[in-house]
Amino acid sequence: MSAVATLTRPVRVGKIPHAGLLLVLVGIIVFASVRTDSFLNTNNLLNVARQVSVVAVIAAGLTLLMVAGGMDFSMGGNVAVTTAVAAQMLSHGYATWLTLVTAIGLSIAVGLVNGAVVTFTNVAPFVATLATATLLDGVALLVINGMSISIDEHLSGLGSGTTFGLPNLVFVAAAVLAVVAFVMRYTSFGRDAFAIGGNEDVARLSGITVSRDKLVLYGLAGALSGLAGIMLLSRLAASSPGTGGLQLQLTAVAAVVIGGTSLAGGKGTIGGTILGVLLLGVVANVLNLLQISSYYQQISVGAVLLIAAIANLLQSSRKR
Amino acid sequence: MTTAVTTAMTTVIRVDRITKSFGGAAALTDVSVDFFPGEVHALMGMNGAGKSTLVQILSGALNPDSGTLEVGGLVQNQLNPRQARKVGISTVPQRRELVMSLTVAENIMLGQLPTSGAMVRWHSVRETAQEALRALGITIDADAIAGDLTVAEQTMVEVAREVRRGGKVLILDEPTACLGPEAAQQIRDLVLRLRDSGVAILFISHHISEVLHLADRITVLRDGRVTWAGLATETDEKGLVRDMVGRDVVSRRPVRPARSNEVGLSVRGLCDGRFLDCFDIDVRRGEIVAVLGPAGDAQSRLFDLLSGRRRFDGGQVSVAGKKLKNGKITDSLASGLRCVTGDRRRLGLIPGLTIDENVMLAQDRLDKRRIHRWSLLTRRAKPLRERYRVVSLAENPPVEQLSGGNQQKVLLAKWLGTAPSAVLLEDPTNGVDVSAMAEIHSLVDRLAGEGVAVLLASSSAEEVMRLADRVVVVRDGRRIAEYQVDRITRDELIATTLGGAL
Ligand SMILES: Nc1ncnc2c1ncn2[C@@H]1O[C@H](COP(=O)(O)OP(=O)(O)OP(=O)(O)O)[C@@H](O)[C@H]1O
Ligand SMILES: [Mg+2]
Repeated sequence: MSAVATLTRPVRVGKIPHAGLLLVLVGIIVFASVRTDSFLNTNNLLNVARQVSVVAVIAAGLTLLMVAGGMDFSMGGNVAVTTAVAAQMLSHGYATWLTLVTAIGLSIAVGLVNGAVVTFTNVAPFVATLATATLLDGVALLVINGMSISIDEHLSGLGSGTTFGLPNLVFVAAAVLAVVAFVMRYTSFGRDAFAIGGNEDVARLSGITVSRDKLVLYGLAGALSGLAGIMLLSRLAASSPGTGGLQLQLTAVAAVVIGGTSLAGGKGTIGGTILGVLLLGVVANVLNLLQISSYYQQISVGAVLLIAAIANLLQSSRKR
Repeated sequence: MTTAVTTAMTTVIRVDRITKSFGGAAALTDVSVDFFPGEVHALMGMNGAGKSTLVQILSGALNPDSGTLEVGGLVQNQLNPRQARKVGISTVPQRRELVMSLTVAENIMLGQLPTSGAMVRWHSVRETAQEALRALGITIDADAIAGDLTVAEQTMVEVAREVRRGGKVLILDEPTACLGPEAAQQIRDLVLRLRDSGVAILFISHHISEVLHLADRITVLRDGRVTWAGLATETDEKGLVRDMVGRDVVSRRPVRPARSNEVGLSVRGLCDGRFLDCFDIDVRRGEIVAVLGPAGDAQSRLFDLLSGRRRFDGGQVSVAGKKLKNGKITDSLASGLRCVTGDRRRLGLIPGLTIDENVMLAQDRLDKRRIHRWSLLTRRAKPLRERYRVVSLAENPPVEQLSGGNQQKVLLAKWLGTAPSAVLLEDPTNGVDVSAMAEIHSLVDRLAGEGVAVLLASSSAEEVMRLADRVVVVRDGRRIAEYQVDRITRDELIATTLGGAL
């Protein structure tokens, strides 16, 4: 909707939220459609949609956490462990519901441990969660014993099914994004997050239960990692070494930061995060389609990151 | 008072018909001012009049929309902070800008660290910084971490830094706003010394007597326009108030109803390191008690201890007979005690949240609201915004965009709007203009009239004389004297604050 607005109304770029980001995204989509026929191909678009759905769920949790001045680098590792455990359980014949409950429960526990460390000791979130991230990546490899574990058709309804022509994964992601956006804007818990990220001392003095809120936020980040893990497993139908992990984590962090959420806390929107996730997803896909060597792919992703970040900053900090 | 020699002067800075708007609303309209060497030029006006905006333009932090700025005869169209410094303009902005994690010495020498080769000569850093402090008669350890200093000390450090850098123009935006009488006097002495050595000084203050005493020339702003400009000798207190506010402002001690005998807030044997040593104080309901003492002493600790931000070593605090749990913020809030900080930036407001959200921040948490309804929020915040006269250009901007005095009003609205049973007020009118000060004082009067116990820690003797019923003097963490306010004069009060007994 705002994309249309950008094109039709007399453009006042400074007024439209994330206008710079939107412009870059539209530019890349136009470029891709012109350069390759396969980009607008239905199967390709469905594929991109499934991929970005997983990232979007992680990024949603991360946005809320970062707004509160927190950081979780272990979400990718959490995804790896969740997929590994779920894959083992399903391949050993455990019921699907039990697998899901165990996996999500486990991921919440990981999140709460992160939260407890960050809240009750003075270890910086960056350090604490980077440590858990490394630890979790190792645990994931242990669980699948370094092999690829297939789950056959167990979760194919979620992973490859569609409703009204859209992948089911997209609906899950959309629901998560909508709920998080609502929480951030219309609940005291969400506003508390902004207050804590803005100035933790003031938040505490104003009667906000900062420690409890932080614990819940890290738990929530864990829970959403678990959900993303299940989604990823259902899409790939197998858990292998390297599923999830740091690569996924960095994509999510990049998407959130590109979307304008402040690393220092206190500022951020789900709308920006959605744009960031889409941008990174589309760029990765286009580079694949153009059959560009993976070396250049990395270079281009980095370049896009920089351009988007600068476009964002130029908009927000132009000298008045 | 000495008048500066102002014959055959040439301007150092000439501001010519400058206009500056934020998002369509004008903060400054057609403002013209000339600054002369060897002269103290005071800028006056109500909160939000545009004083700091003009300062930011002169220091290169903002660029005007139209009009010209001439420095030393040269037109400076796109001044930035570095160029401003280069052409000799030094600025102490209203918002203190020290690097809080560095030492005082590093802050003073920032950007000019003496080096030999690529190595910093730390010894020389410390020496030079300490010398700069000593030259102003300031006793602050150059090795202290800036973040550990009180706001008053931070101000002194910033002034010392700018003075050391030198320059033809020194801009001081409310340097004395939260200083005690002694420190404020040091700043004033310094200003006069620099003026006599030929520096042009732009001085902003809401204290009219201070301005009349110090300034050679005064420019008054109202709603971004110059309403009066001339020599200080051509005006008086009454005239200045009229030019600033547009009407007369009177503030008199009211006759308050007799105080009840119930104790509202009681502090017994409170101990905290070297700051408080078995400190006792009882504030009855409806009574206003001021705590006084040499700067940086007990008062600043009371906020931390009473709010529950910090655990005390011993003693007890009770509100309306109920004992508070040591170091528990939620318990302190639940008891009805409200602590209003003197450091609104660090402990008072959330800069990125809107006025409405900041005003309702505490009340909403006390009400345990779960859903955040924006339209309802606006409706509930409105009466408080009006009562405290919060002025802003936009409808409901983030508080970081408000002028300093208006931020202070938001802070008071936030806490005093929550039906307190006892309050601790630390410099409640810090940075607030004359008319707002009068209104805030009557709001505090009314609060006491409703039976609230008020503990006041103010750096302004006038404020204590205007508000307090009783004054308790603290030294070395102990209560050394106590006076009924009607038995003591303002000068005696200042003498006690400085450490002399009566
Ligand atoms: N960055 C900004 N964005 C939007 N509005 C601003 C900004 N900075 C200042 N203003 C507005 O401009 C007006 C003038 O502000 P300014 O800070 O100059 O006032 P002031 O005279 O210094 O007041 P005080 O005595 O309270 O310090 C205020 O209404 C303020 O809300
Ligand atoms: Mg100001």
